[in-house]
Amino acid sequence: MTMRRRKFLKSSAATLGAWTLGGTAPYYFMRNIAKAAEGDTIKVGILHSLSGTIAIIETSLHNAELLAIEEINAKGGVLGKKIQPIVEDPQSVVQVFAEKAKKLLLEDKVAAVLGCYTSASRQSVLPIFEQYNGVLLYPTLYEAQECSKNCFYTGAVPNQQLDDFVPWIINTLKRKKFYMVGSNYIYPKETNREVKALLEKHGGQNVGEEYAPLGHTEFSTIINNISGSGAEVVFSDLVGDSIVAFYKQFKQFGFTADDLPICTPITTEQEIAAMGPENAEGHYTSFNYFQSVDSPENKSFVERYKAKYGKDAVTNAVMEAAYFQTYFLAHAIEKVKSTEADALIYEGLPGQEFQAPQGKVKIDEQNHHTWLWARIGKANPQGQFDVVWKSENWIRPQPWVPYLYPDKTCNFTDQRVKERLSKPWSVEKNRSGTINL
Amino acid sequence: MTQALISQILIGVSVTAILVISAIGLAVIFGVAGVINMAHGQFIMVGAYTAAVIGKMGGNTFVAIPVSFVVVALLGLAVERGVIRWIYDRPLETLLATWGVGIILEVVMKLIFGPELYYVGAPKVLAGSVHLVGRLPYPYYRLFLIVVAILMVAATFYLIFRTDFGLKVRAVRRNRAMSGCLGIDTAKIDMMIFMFGSGLAGIAGAVLAPIKSVSTTMGFRYAVDSYMTIVLGGVGNLWGVPTGGGLIGEGETLLAYKFNSVIGELLVFIFIVIAIRVFPRGIFGYQERR
Repeated sequence: MTMRRRKFLKSSAATLGAWTLGGTAPYYFMRNIAKAAEGDTIKVGILHSLSGTIAIIETSLHNAELLAIEEINAKGGVLGKKIQPIVEDPQSVVQVFAEKAKKLLLEDKVAAVLGCYTSASRQSVLPIFEQYNGVLLYPTLYEAQECSKNCFYTGAVPNQQLDDFVPWIINTLKRKKFYMVGSNYIYPKETNREVKALLEKHGGQNVGEEYAPLGHTEFSTIINNISGSGAEVVFSDLVGDSIVAFYKQFKQFGFTADDLPICTPITTEQEIAAMGPENAEGHYTSFNYFQSVDSPENKSFVERYKAKYGKDAVTNAVMEAAYFQTYFLAHAIEKVKSTEADALIYEGLPGQEFQAPQGKVKIDEQNHHTWLWARIGKANPQGQFDVVWKSENWIRPQPWVPYLYPDKTCNFTDQRVKERLSKPWSVEKNRSGTINL
Repeated sequence: MTQALISQILIGVSVTAILVISAIGLAVIFGVAGVINMAHGQFIMVGAYTAAVIGKMGGNTFVAIPVSFVVVALLGLAVERGVIRWIYDRPLETLLATWGVGIILEVVMKLIFGPELYYVGAPKVLAGSVHLVGRLPYPYYRLFLIVVAILMVAATFYLIFRTDFGLKVRAVRRNRAMSGCLGIDTAKIDMMIFMFGSGLAGIAGAVLAPIKSVSTTMGFRYAVDSYMTIVLGGVGNLWGVPTGGGLIGEGETLLAYKFNSVIGELLVFIFIVIAIRVFPRGIFGYQERR
């Protein structure tokens, strides 16, 4: 009983402390109590599945975030306090994500949450973050067309992976006829819509489009269809187990990367390890980050990651985002000297820059997404990617790409959005920064 | 068009082979011991991981086949002796118990091997493909799978119909009480057949790993495919396995070719529901002798 009460006192004191630090001066004396009771920590929630079907990838995100927190703490923490990670395991179940998010916000009173991987999980927690005005940092590449006041998106949106990739395939690989293969859910369908728009723009041709049920591992029929379609390149947005089975069977049916390369915005070093480098060699992936990226920041990142998680551990693009978004948050708290949500959302996080392993990245001042670099990697016999093309500059994120949605944009500095968001959630439930032009 | 169609029919043969390989172990256990092994998919998964370990140690699929057979047969023995033999006469509870065994296996394998996908390569001699008829070259590995499927069915038939052990098995299946009275150790027959069926699941894991993906959650899909195959073909008759496998395999590939994979899968499910309405015991359903 005493323990519970103490815990309660601690957490409520912490909020008050955070609150007072945020600038509400009248509670000055509370701040001293808070400091005494709280010790020297700033609580940050970590919400990635450590069990269940998506745990494969989410565990690596969780690991990357813990590594960043450890580094930040080793350098003295934030505002002289250590960051205390509060880890919750949502077990790959969408409903549990929502429950745990609520717990982190209301019980633990965390300053912000680093979490989620799938779009489904993000969409299940967003209403909670919007209702209770929390801050979520989301590291996955995703289909975009969303921008919530309470979420910062540090992974790539399609324009950062596709806008250069598709013309590169057409002009550099000299392959115009695309056959699209994807898993049957929202991300591949939205991605392929954009690819089709880009094909039209750059003079490519769509010769076929097919979707396989999620988790499908029998691709012989699709391969037969591809072979009769006259395709010059296969554009794949298959996910998970399907990637491994597709590449293996593609090679077994006698296709080589020279005849018919597979180009994809999804396949990482991890899947290549699972299918064997001989099945991936010569195929292309477009990503912001590869483990082989040649920069001092990346070398040291890979080294530190391996030192902590074993020498066989591999890094990938999503966990790189998980890593640098932790720094974004720490620097933002440092900047506004507060853990209060609105301070972080309006002043701390927008415009925040960081020298990440992939290069310098920045949160866009207007749309809460992140400026990233584009790279195209060709899989080599060692199971890594040789970077064959890199964007000359970082690329601005566009949650609504102009060639599909010419009349929409996302801008949190727009007066109309500001006005809408100045109303409390109970009056105005729309917390999006999307406006019609 | 016809070229592509011929390719597609050939592909269907290999898909049938894959279904037969994954279902035959389940059919043997179900048909003789009367236990629906809900952990069947996980047994296949353990076979696949065995192949992955053998691969890491430098062995290939040919080495993995006997090893996986033995490993999973021993696993089957442990499950039968530890759990199933106490509840043979309560079918609902065997369902629950084997379901539980499946979950335990999944978690234990995840603890041992971690959650990531595992790599299993195909043997060098079976890499590559050959031009048969049709448009598409045919992978050697798929020809190999067809041979494996035929051998597995043949071995099972031989065991059941040409050996003394098989004679006892058939006797137990027809009339358990009478066989017991005639001095057949029915409990031992059950145990042996459970081991044999489990071993077949192990082989399935070993030979399917090189063309599919290997993860701790892989078992579920194979289990669903296997149940559909034996339910459609008919429980208790071994001919039901290749028949059910053939109908589903060819049906799914041809429909997927005509429409697409998603609709193909959907139509096959609908077809199975209708087929079971018409043949409640499956196409080769075992009729009780009156």
